[in-house]
Formats: sequence, structure tokens, C-alpha cells
Amino acid sequence: MGNKQTIFSAQQLDAYQSYVPFQRLFSRYRDLAPQLVPLDYTHQPDVKLPYELIGSMPELKDNPFRQRIAEVFSEDGEGNMTLDDFLDMFSVLSEMAPRDLKAYYAFKIYDFNNDDFICKLDLVKTLNKLTRNELTEDEVRMVCEKVMDEADMDNDGRLSLEDFQHVIVRAPEFLRYRHTPQ
Amino acid sequence: MPPSLGHAGSSSSSSLVHLLSPLPLSTSYSLPLLSPTLSPSSLLLSPPPISYYLLQHYVQTPYIISVWLLLASLAKILFHLSQRFTTVVPESCMLILLGLVLGGVVLLAHEKQLYQLEPGLFFLFLLPTIVGDAGYFMPSRLFFDNLGAITLYAVVGTLWNAFCTAFCLYGVKLLGVIDEKVDAGLMDFLLFGALISAVDPVAVIAVFEEVHVNDTLFIIVFGESLLNDAVTVVLYKVYMSFVEVGPANVGTAECMKGLVSFLVVSLGGTLVGLVFAVILSFTTRFTKKVRIIEPLFVFLLVYLAYLTAELCSLSAILSMTFCGIGANKYVEANISQKSRTTVKYTMKTLASIAETIIFIFLGISAMDKTKWAWDTGLVACTLVFILLFRAMGVIGQTWVLNRFRLVPLDRIDQVVMSYGGLRGAVAFALVVLLDGEKVKAKDYFVATTIVVVFFTVMFQGLTIKPLVKWLKVPRSTNRKPTINEEIHERAFDHILTAVEDIAGLQGYHHWRDKWEQFDKKYLSKLLLRKSVYQKSELWEAYQKINMRDAISVIDQGGNVLTSRLSLPSMASRSSFPEVTNVTNYLRENGSGVCLDLQVIDNVPGARVEEDSETHHFLTGNLYKPRRRYQSHYSRHFMPAGEQERQEREVFQRNMRSRMENFKTSRHKRHKKDRSQKKVFLLYLRLGSQGVGVEGNYLPKSTALEACDSPSMASPTCGERFLPWKVGAGSLPPCVSVEATKVIPVDLQQAWNQSISSLESISSPLNLNPNPRVTALSPSSVIPNPNLRFMALPPPTLNPNSNLRVVALPPPALNPNPRFSVLSRLAGQRPVSSPPCSFSQSEKEQQKEEEEALSEQQQEEQPLMSVRPPAPPLSSTPGERRRNPCVYLRSLVTVPPAGNTETHSRGPTQL
Repeated sequence: MGNKQTIFSAQQLDAYQSYVPFQRLFSRYRDLAPQLVPLDYTHQPDVKLPYELIGSMPELKDNPFRQRIAEVFSEDGEGNMTLDDFLDMFSVLSEMAPRDLKAYYAFKIYDFNNDDFICKLDLVKTLNKLTRNELTEDEVRMVCEKVMDEADMDNDGRLSLEDFQHVIVRAPEFLRYRHTPQ
Repeated sequence: MPPSLGHAGSSSSSSLVHLLSPLPLSTSYSLPLLSPTLSPSSLLLSPPPISYYLLQHYVQTPYIISVWLLLASLAKILFHLSQRFTTVVPESCMLILLGLVLGGVVLLAHEKQLYQLEPGLFFLFLLPTIVGDAGYFMPSRLFFDNLGAITLYAVVGTLWNAFCTAFCLYGVKLLGVIDEKVDAGLMDFLLFGALISAVDPVAVIAVFEEVHVNDTLFIIVFGESLLNDAVTVVLYKVYMSFVEVGPANVGTAECMKGLVSFLVVSLGGTLVGLVFAVILSFTTRFTKKVRIIEPLFVFLLVYLAYLTAELCSLSAILSMTFCGIGANKYVEANISQKSRTTVKYTMKTLASIAETIIFIFLGISAMDKTKWAWDTGLVACTLVFILLFRAMGVIGQTWVLNRFRLVPLDRIDQVVMSYGGLRGAVAFALVVLLDGEKVKAKDYFVATTIVVVFFTVMFQGLTIKPLVKWLKVPRSTNRKPTINEEIHERAFDHILTAVEDIAGLQGYHHWRDKWEQFDKKYLSKLLLRKSVYQKSELWEAYQKINMRDAISVIDQGGNVLTSRLSLPSMASRSSFPEVTNVTNYLRENGSGVCLDLQVIDNVPGARVEEDSETHHFLTGNLYKPRRRYQSHYSRHFMPAGEQERQEREVFQRNMRSRMENFKTSRHKRHKKDRSQKKVFLLYLRLGSQGVGVEGNYLPKSTALEACDSPSMASPTCGERFLPWKVGAGSLPPCVSVEATKVIPVDLQQAWNQSISSLESISSPLNLNPNPRVTALSPSSVIPNPNLRFMALPPPTLNPNSNLRVVALPPPALNPNPRFSVLSRLAGQRPVSSPPCSFSQSEKEQQKEEEEALSEQQQEEQPLMSVRPPAPPLSSTPGERRRNPCVYLRSLVTVPPAGNTETHSRGPTQL
């Protein structure tokens, strides 16, 4: 890389070791805004990339959940990500991350209105994102009812984290990387 | 001796040829199954002379075979009489016991065992049927996903087992635990270790099939048992040669030779199998006219793969397995449905009967005192060692594997894998093949092998089920995912896909992706029938439904769906609005059939049905995540370019909803509209060249043709063309007067315009440079929904083409809007009588739907919904009618452009 060598403190590198494709991730992060992201990271620069940039990554462009992912993992909750946020996102969703952690973040991603419960509105949003608004209202309502029916253990009309985890326990394939042989 | 043909060691080509030579139909031929000492009379306890001559007869051999087969089959029936019994005791155990009893009887009668499992028979006939079945129906995806693990266990595991068992036995022998009578050196033990260490496919299938452990576990143990054949063959051969030359002469050269021959045997066997797979696939490409022998090709070529490998002293099992795996996909696609069923059942039958015979004969063979000699030390040590080393080997290898595997094999898996290392008939046949002259301890080895086989099959086979239950090994389940799971999984697919993409993780299935591309590009084109790889399933379904529809249209005189039983219509989601609630909907239409073939039509209850309905439309509507990162494994069976894939998904979805809408619209029309008479439809047909040209829907040469449709012609003039109305001079009574009344005067002009524009398009002579605009622009008044549906071109249609035909969202097809518009019209204008009487709730729904309509559809709606003015009644009622058959064909296939002349008459007559 010549003089474009990025610099991290040893401590940082140590912490980042756990991110397997760290080099790649950093370069992806930096490529989003080369003018913003410094190469020297030893001084903990306070750089945030706005959501517009994150969301414009080609891999995310068609992803229905892109905004939600960015929001959940960003510190400010608005999708603007620091490098740490960015790496966190990958570490949480990486294969190595424990299932509970993933489930927790999955829950947060679903919880669009941040009220710590998945309520019907959240489900409707999820569904519509998944189906590109192709379901009719009735169908959406029906699916939501079903989901609640299945998973709502305490019958309060919304899913708590416990409910959600309970569902996930039953689904061994859930949160597993799709490309893993099973 | 009958030609004892070697699976490995003595399988010289000459002996093979000898055995393969046509069976001499003479009395001198004695079946390998029977020991040569068998005098025909011995079958009967008191031989009368008559039966002597009878049995000396040339039918003797086939007769005995048939009787044995019958016996084996009857035994199976017996075991399955009691359901409870068979769930506890594996069939293989019972068969061995039965063999023991039979052997005992024969022994008592003759004091000599007449029958035993002959290696020649076993390796040439019994084993291939089982391996062929296993290979052909191997879940290839699962197999290749775990190929690394399987190969490791098969090669390293087997070698480890063989060497450790052999050396330890030798050590124990030196320590004096094994009796002095057992005259065996290190080489003999190595030989014995080689044959006793291999996990046996027959036993594994027999036992594991009843246990139903999860797929991964099964495929690893089972795959290992198939692939370790190469190792066994080579070890066996190498040691045989060592034993022959004497241990003193064995040097490095021999060892190297062994290594090389391992590669040759395994890779060569695989290669032979793959070559035969290609031949087989290629052959079935051309069997269209001779469907009846399609299954034969499958059997013959798979069997030939086995024999050829055996002939070349390669690994026959590997060859056959890979032939089956490789050819399966193409063969299944090429041959007809009936042949598929035939192949399946025949293979299963043969494999099942072969298995039965193997186990029975194992039992019988055990009752032959002359063949074996007992040594407790040897037997006990062997049992301990094979169990011990199997467990150690599995744990060690799994430890290594788990560092690479993304889904580690946990402790429980390892226990089952260790315990599932069953030995079986292959080991027995190999040990019987040993040369008693050179291997002096053969009799001891035979006895030990029998004990080991019996122990593994019977004891372990019996206990593995409770063990699996006790350990709570995840079983294979057919449980459908809950709706929660379905949604959440899909959502997380999306999320994880993005992450994987950005992180650039090399998917596990990089190579498979590559392979699939290669397969699609070259192999499929070479090995599949043209009709197969060009036609997608969706299109087949589409055509079938279309055909069925068309037939019913003609059969029932346009009263489509009068009998919903005879014509299962699709319960489609688009009809939900009609009934507010799926439950009601389903109750109303209990016989709803959906496109999803997996939804079976037995209806256990409203709740389950509702669930399955939900699943169904979820499956249909959840979008699949989209990958950017090219080298990744694709979730689609046929990887296409990213763009293409997405488009295809959208396209297929549109197609589906179009189909469903079409069906429901008819259904509803019939239901609600019965009083209203048939509506009017112009079937627009496109010349065959007209389709599939990207971006330009109608090329210049297109003969676009509008023909009247039976069910949807203008209530008046359309009716007159209906084939079944032949001779109906006057308007059919079902044509309601209201329908004609509804047409506002000011729209009549629009209608007439539409007619004329249609005429201009439909005239073949009129080469419109840009027909799309003319024909399909919103301003043109072509009656819409049906046109849109019928005009769908063959599969080559690229969804990309900016056709309104395809791109219009489903609601436009729904007939409801039409009515709603009608009713609105009726409300606005003082029309004498409303076109139809809707209930209040229905109207509300229609309003909802109206809101859902896009602007542009709104524009179109009034036009398409308007009933055409009654054409002049002066049109001759006796006008030539379209031949129903021609019409039918036109629905199902796109006729050649030249053939359009007769059909185009319809619209011009309008």
C-alpha cells in the first residue's frame, strides 16, 4: 500500500483482530468517503459517515432493511456510523457472534419504533419490506395475527424480547449463515 | 468351487469374464449361491426320485433363486405384521436371526451347511443393487456439502482403524492373549484389519434408515461407508500381495505402489462412474420415442459402471455411486414421469430384496461350523479394538474438522457416528475370499468377522435407537417452519446477505456456484433435452393450467367453473378482498387448489388450512435477498446474472398473480356475474415471432391478432361466435339487456375507436413499425385484463420489456374494479337499471380496491369495464364459428404466424 498505509494503534489493532476481514471492512468504510476518513486512526478521530453514504453501498442498495440496520448499529440511532459502529455491525452479525447477541440485535432491528417490543406496527413494516408492499392489507393483517398468535406468550398483543427468543430457539436455522452447509 | 469372483483381491478380469459369460442352461451349472456339493435332492429331507429328476431339471437354478426371493419377501411381510415390534427391533436383526434359524435347520438335516453368502454373488449382484439405489437417490446437495468431512472419515478414518486394529491385535498376539493356534503374522493382521475396519454401506443403510437421525449425521456416516470402499479395496489388495510375496520382501517401493494404486483406484473409479453418468444422461436425451425402455437404460448403465470399474480393478462402489449421483439430475429431467416412478420403485424393490437376502445369508453362513474356528481372545480383542479405535478416530477427526466446519459436529454427533460404524456383509465377503493356503488363520478371521458383523448389526443396531433417543440427537423432521420463523428467517437472510456481501466473505459454496454455472452453460445443454432446459417449471404449470382452462371453457359452454369440483380453481390471494377474511374465504371454497404443489389438498381443519394458506402466499411473496458479491453461492437453483435473477423473480411473480387473477376473475365472474352473462374478452394472440424480443414487444412482422373469446366476447356479437352456440340464431338469453344499456353514449365512440385500432393491428398486412404503442398504450381501448393475460408470450419474454402487458400490477386484472366502475357509472348516470346488485360490503371492498389502483389504471378502467355497445344485430348469426380445437390450441401454444389467417377473422367481423 506504500505511503497510503493506514495506521492504527497496537491496542486498536488488537481490538480489531476479532473482525476477520478487518482490512477489507476498513477499506470499504474508507472508500465511502475517502476525504472524510483519515488513514491515521491512532488519535481516535471522531468521524461519522452519514447514512446516505452507508446506504448507498451497492450491496445495501436493494436491501429492504438497510436503513434499519444502520440505525440500530449507529450510536446516534440515525444511521450515521463511526468506524466502530461499522465494525460492530459486522461483528454482531458475523458467524462467530453468539446467537443470543444476534437475537438481541435482530429484535432491535425489528423494533422499528424503539419501544422494546415488537408490536403489530413493527410487524407490518417488516412484512411490507419483505414483500415490497405487495400484500394487501388483509393479508398483512392476517399474517400479523398469526405471528402474534404463535409467538405471543403473555398475550399482551406484542412480542417482548423473551417471546422473540423463544421463537428463535425453535428455529435452528435462524441466524445461521445461509451459505453454511447444514 | 463356483467362480468366486473377487471384489478386490482376486477380481482378475479373467474370472470376471468367466462369471459374466452367459449362464449355461445346463444341469452342470451350479449357482454360486449353492455350494457345489449340493445334490439337488438335498433340498428335500426325504428325496423321492421324482423330485430328484425335477430338480435336476434345467429350471433348477432360476427356481431356487425365485424360492429364495420369495422366502425373503415373505419374511419381510412377517416382520411388518406387528408395528410395535418393528419399531423396536430393526429388520436387519430379524433377518439375521431368521437366517440363523434356517441355517440351523439345514445344518440339523445335513450336518453340513449347504448355503452361504458367496462373494461372487454378493459382489456381482447383491451389492450393486444396494449401492446403485443409494447412489442414484443420494441427496447430492447434502452429499457434496459434506464431501470434505465424508472423504476425511472415509480415507483417514478407515486407514486409522485398519492400522491401529491390526497393530494392536498383533501386539496382543505377542502378549499371548490370543491363542497360539491362531497362526498369523503382522501381515495377516494387517489384512484382517483392512477388511474389518471399513464401515459397511449395507448395514448402515439398514440400521440408519430406521433411526432417522438428522440428515447431516446420516450423510456423513453413509457417505463414509460408500467412499471407504476405495481404501478397503486398495489395502486389501496391497496386503494380499504382501502376504503373497512374504513380509520380508516388502519394501518402500511396494508401499509407494500401494499409495499410487489408492489414487488410481479411487479416482479411476470415480472417473468411470462419471463417464457412465454422462453416457447415461446423454442416452436418455433421445429416448422420447421409446419411453418404455427408459428405465432399462438407467439400470443397465449404472450397473455397467459398476462392472466396468470392477473389470479394471477400480473401486466399483465409488464408480456406481458417482454414476448415480451424477446422472440423477439429468436423467430425472429427461425421462418421463412414469419412467421416473418405475426407476424409483424398481430400484427400491431390488435394493430391499438384496438387503434381505444378504442378511438372511449372513445368518445362514454363520451356522457353518466347518468354516470357522473360534478363539475367544481374538474375538474379544477385535471387538474392543474396533469400537475403541472407531471412537478415537471419530473424535480426533472431528476435532480437526470442526476447526473448518462452520457448523461443528458436537459431542452427541460424535457419539452417534462412533456407534454407527457398523460392519457388515462386505467385510464378511472379503474374509471369505481369503486364500486359506496363504492366510493360515483364515478360519479364525472368519469367525471373528461373523461375530463382529453380528455384534454391530444386531447389538448396535438394536441399541442405537434408544441411544439416539436418550441423547436427544436432533432427528430429521418434516416440520414446516412456523410463520414466525419464515418471516424472521427471510428478514435475516436479507440482513446477513448485506453483511456477507460487504465483508466479502467467500461463501462456502463458491465452487458449487462455479459448478452450477458450468452446468448451466455446457452440461445441461449437452445432457438435457431441449424442451427440458428451455422450459421452466412455471411455464409448464402455466401451460397446463391454460390447457385445462381452455378445455373447460369449451366443455362447459363458457360457464367456466360451474362445477368447481371438476375444475379445481386456484384459491388465490387476490380473492381475499372479496371475503374480508381468509378464513371465510377458505370455508367458502374448501376445495381451493393453489399453485403450490406442496400444499396437499387434504384439509385437516380450518386452522391448519389457514396456516398453509398463509405459508403459501408468504412463500410466494417474500422476496429473496439479493446478492451483489458475484462469487457467492446463490439461493436459486439456477444461478443467473444478478439482474436477470431479480427480474426473473419479479416476472415469475407477476406471471403467477396474473394466472391467479385470471382464474379468480373467471371464478368470480361466474359467481357474481352469472346473472350478468358472459363478459367479453378479446383474446389477443401474438404470432410466434412476436414474442421474446426484448424491449420491443411486437416486432414488425408480428401478426397480432385479436380473436373473439368464448367467455369474454362482447355479450352480443361475441356470443354469436361461440362454438357451442352454433345454430343459436338469436341472442342467448343469458345476455342481459342491462349490459348493453350501461354503455354510456359518449363511450361508444371510444369503443368504436378501439375496434378500429384493433383491426388495424390485427391485420397482418399492416406492418406497424411500433405496434406496442398502438396496441398497448393506455389510450387504446383494448379490453384489458384478459388481453393482458392471454398475450403473455412464451418463456423467452423478458420481463424487462416495457410492456404494460406484464408490468401492470395485479389489481388491474381483478374484475372487481370493473364492477365498481360500473356501479359508479351507474350511480353517476341515471341508468335505468344498475348492472349488478352488490351488497353494501362488497361495494366497500370495491372502493378499497379502487383506491389501490394506480392512476393509469384508473384511466384504463372505465374503458375496459365498459360493455361494448351491442353490435348491429344484423350480423348473420350463422357466421362461421371458430373451431374449438383451433381455439384451444391457440390458448396453449403460440401458433405459427402463417397460420393466423383464419383466426383473424374474428375481430374484423366486429
